[in-house]
Amino acid sequence: MSNINIDAAKANTFDAIIIGSGISGGWAAKEFTEKGLKTLVLERGRDVQHIKDYPTTNMYPYEFAHKGEVELAIKKENPIVSRCYAFREDAMHFMVKDKEHPYVQEKPFDWIRGYQVGGKSLLWARQTQRWSDFDFEGPARDDFAVDWPIRYKDIAPWYSYAEKFAGISGNRDGLSELPDGEFLPAFPLNAAEDYFKGVIKSKYNNRHVISARCAHLSKPNQIHLDQGRAKCQNRILCQRGCPFGGYFSSNASTLPWAAKTGHLTLKPFSVVESVIYDDAKGKVTGVRVVDAHTKVTTEYYAKVVFINAGALNTNLILLNSTSKRFPHGLGNDNGVLGKYVAFHNYSARISAEYDGLKQFTTDGRNPAGGGYIPRFRNVFKQETNFKRGYAAGFSAGRYSESNTDGVGPGLKNSLLHAPLGPWEVGSHMMGETIPKESNFVSLSSEKKDDWGIPQLNISVDYDENDALMKKDYIEQLTEMFTEAGFKNIKPNIEGQSPGLDIHEMGGARMGHDPKTSILNKWNQLHTCPNVFVTDGACMTSTSTQNPSLTYMALTARAVDYAVSAMSKGEIA
Amino acid sequence: MAGGLALLPSCLKEAGKSTILLKRISINLDQENLLAEVAETMIPKTDTPGARELNVHLYVLKMLDDCYEETDQKKFIAGIEQFNDHVYDKTTKSFNKLSVLQRQSILTELENNKKISPELAAFYTIMKQRTIKGYLNSQYVMTNLVKWELVPGRYNGYFPAKTA
Repeated sequence: MSNINIDAAKANTFDAIIIGSGISGGWAAKEFTEKGLKTLVLERGRDVQHIKDYPTTNMYPYEFAHKGEVELAIKKENPIVSRCYAFREDAMHFMVKDKEHPYVQEKPFDWIRGYQVGGKSLLWARQTQRWSDFDFEGPARDDFAVDWPIRYKDIAPWYSYAEKFAGISGNRDGLSELPDGEFLPAFPLNAAEDYFKGVIKSKYNNRHVISARCAHLSKPNQIHLDQGRAKCQNRILCQRGCPFGGYFSSNASTLPWAAKTGHLTLKPFSVVESVIYDDAKGKVTGVRVVDAHTKVTTEYYAKVVFINAGALNTNLILLNSTSKRFPHGLGNDNGVLGKYVAFHNYSARISAEYDGLKQFTTDGRNPAGGGYIPRFRNVFKQETNFKRGYAAGFSAGRYSESNTDGVGPGLKNSLLHAPLGPWEVGSHMMGETIPKESNFVSLSSEKKDDWGIPQLNISVDYDENDALMKKDYIEQLTEMFTEAGFKNIKPNIEGQSPGLDIHEMGGARMGHDPKTSILNKWNQLHTCPNVFVTDGACMTSTSTQNPSLTYMALTARAVDYAVSAMSKGEIA
Repeated sequence: MAGGLALLPSCLKEAGKSTILLKRISINLDQENLLAEVAETMIPKTDTPGARELNVHLYVLKMLDDCYEETDQKKFIAGIEQFNDHVYDKTTKSFNKLSVLQRQSILTELENNKKISPELAAFYTIMKQRTIKGYLNSQYVMTNLVKWELVPGRYNGYFPAKTA
């Protein structure tokens, strides 16, 4: 009997366990397996294999029963996820339905999730910018949260490392606030976007419009071809999964790469209940998993555990990992765990029309989406009545404007031969929010999910700083649009709840001091050296950049450190 | 297979029932045929197929069945009967007995009449919006007239535009 138990334990023992297969978990898998470690990746959802499991990827609009729209009954059952722009007939199978995975909204929060192998990396908007020291030094300079324990120089080589493998298109713009990277050729701006870029350059000292940097293979290198990926074909149907591997996802890139090493074990339908802290041994020994279907509990063991469950789920797992040593959650001696959650303020946008440059339009599609305006407020010094600032998207396009009046051959002709309208221009804000103790997640004491795990309470809201920043965004963009001679300028401040930005961060923040942070400068729990968090939960502040590239770089850096520490016996 | 809809084999059709499976609404064959004629009047056959041939009216029904609130569905269906009455009041004929020009004239009058009942307005508005969308998103139009590309493989931000 005891032999059987020993054999079972052996079969369930790995060098490294990674919880989650999304953008950061996929990177951890690649790094550990490349370094020769026997690695288990646990994914709570189903398997999604590259190409084979993209059922809608080659469908034409007319092949969808509702031509892309979501049925009313599905919308009514799923009010939260229905608010996400990507929840359409072509990709809704990759998104969590509200009822399947409930949570408690102490304040309105649209938690958008993708529970499958690859997670949200299948669905992301693929925008990738580096942070600079203006971002890492933010909390210290502007006196909020805690000081980041790293600076740009610590992560810069890892940005390069991640960019080369993932494939990032962009221009070397030479901006200190948005460092250049290892770029594939940028997707160019169109005529109206270039025009706006020129206007902004001539009217403002430190405002810039650049080609959006994105994780698309504009011109693949050998390393991308070796992954089985090909040049981006400008389909912009990315949310369905790309049969060319034209954009970066765990499914197209890191996971198959890890599998090729022979060191990867991937277990879908594995819901992690908690990380096991062995009080007798005084350390974390593994992970407790509930089978998504059978609900049977299994334990897996490893020398090191990476938690990459997605920012808020990583908080949930840590909070639910209690022991005699850690009665309030793993690594949570200081009570900080779950607190200082922040996100990106996407609550305003603005649109307008431009009557010039009518000799041009666009042909084909731009996977980068257009232009990007790096943060220009409070970068070099504090200059406004709010802290920090916002980046902004900027894009322009011309669309057919058919006259739909009347019926008969005239209507038909008008629909088929609609003239192009003026350039339609638009921008949306991506504001930094300030992490606060009062924005937090915690475990519900009453409500559990179908796997017996406490539901997550989410208590996150905007604050006065967000409102001031939003007002400034509208004022500044209105001014910039006016300078460019844009007409019919329409601000939209209807906004949205936190969460819908899908950039939730924090809760297990990095910091110098174990008294005020959960993770150290290596993304390692201050109090559990063999546990690392490298997804959004680790973020001390949010800055304005789209976060995924930073998660990739932090993950590769943390694995490198962990493996080195293991070889030195510092992690055993 | 037109418009991505599964059509029932005719041998399974009950007399007088609509030709597509509907879950939440009930439409009889006469009503369905009327919708086909209304859609065809809106977007008629010319040197290219019209809405009826492309089964656009079945797309309208599919959307009405799956994507509209019950109140809108009820209004639409009541609107069909009001439409029949309206046509008869104006012409002492049923819609399918009218000439093409008479049909166009009846629909144009409805489109511009601000005083029609909410039911008739819902019928006309949904019919028109969905007929246009169903037509432009039909396989025929997307592959022959206003081509939609699955794999463009290019982007040009300075493409010459026809100027008016």
